[in-house]
Amino acid sequence: MSGIETFVQRRSDKELVSATILEGMAATDLLVVENEWRAERSSVMQELLSAGVARPNWPESLHWDWSRKVPELQLLASTGFGIVCEKRWQGVMITKSAGYFTRLEPDKGKPLLYVDYLEVAPWNWVIPQINRDGLYKTVGSTLFWRAVQQSEEEGFHGRVGLHALPQAEPFYEKVCRMRPLGRDASKQNLLYFELTRQQAAGFLKMGESK
Amino acid sequence: MAAKKTMTLNLTDAEMAVLDELSEKKDLSKTAVLRQALRLYQMVNMRIDRGEKLFFEDEAKKEKAEVMVL
Repeated sequence: MSGIETFVQRRSDKELVSATILEGMAATDLLVVENEWRAERSSVMQELLSAGVARPNWPESLHWDWSRKVPELQLLASTGFGIVCEKRWQGVMITKSAGYFTRLEPDKGKPLLYVDYLEVAPWNWVIPQINRDGLYKTVGSTLFWRAVQQSEEEGFHGRVGLHALPQAEPFYEKVCRMRPLGRDASKQNLLYFELTRQQAAGFLKMGESK
Repeated sequence: MAAKKTMTLNLTDAEMAVLDELSEKKDLSKTAVLRQALRLYQMVNMRIDRGEKLFFEDEAKKEKAEVMVL
């Protein structure tokens, strides 16, 4: 696996902590991720139940299981990325680099990088109802930055597309500066977002100056 | 990105013309077009090996045709 050195921000003291973005995750890596995250997911679920938090307010990826996404990695078009900090996987992403095309003009019909899955570790979730502040922030935006960079490397000029879970919609619109293009009936009615090449250039520049 | 190996590719004029056209249309290098083709071919083959079928659909004409992949 190849890696890029970066930083994530510890929420408790706002200190930047050294981290590595790894590219080319293998099946065994996803199994390790699931093994590490499963226990934390269970704790979160127990706390939500105890606090009487209504199910629509639970984290929408609480049921995700990264071990079930292992077959995805057999595809040449799929790439697995992860951020490791203090010897733990802090976030994971799987991208697709074939079969997806831009809907927005002026590049309509040209290929883009599709973010199939992106999730941060459960200990990084902010859940005020159960007093969880999250350990590190900027994990999701750093992974998204890597997706934009991969799009550049593939010759897609930074174009990125994805379907967002409802709780993640504000993140992709405000933090990642993507454009919402309507709900997609073929994809559980999730909101589809795209980042144009112009928006990508701005996003990458912002990442470099961090 | 992963390490890459170089190969020589022999194409006919017609094949090269199509590669040029796709490269222009998709705003990709010729290498990137061929890489896309390989990824899609593998994806389609894996799904067909799993017993799935590939179709082209024309919604306007209400036509649907199965694509046979070799």
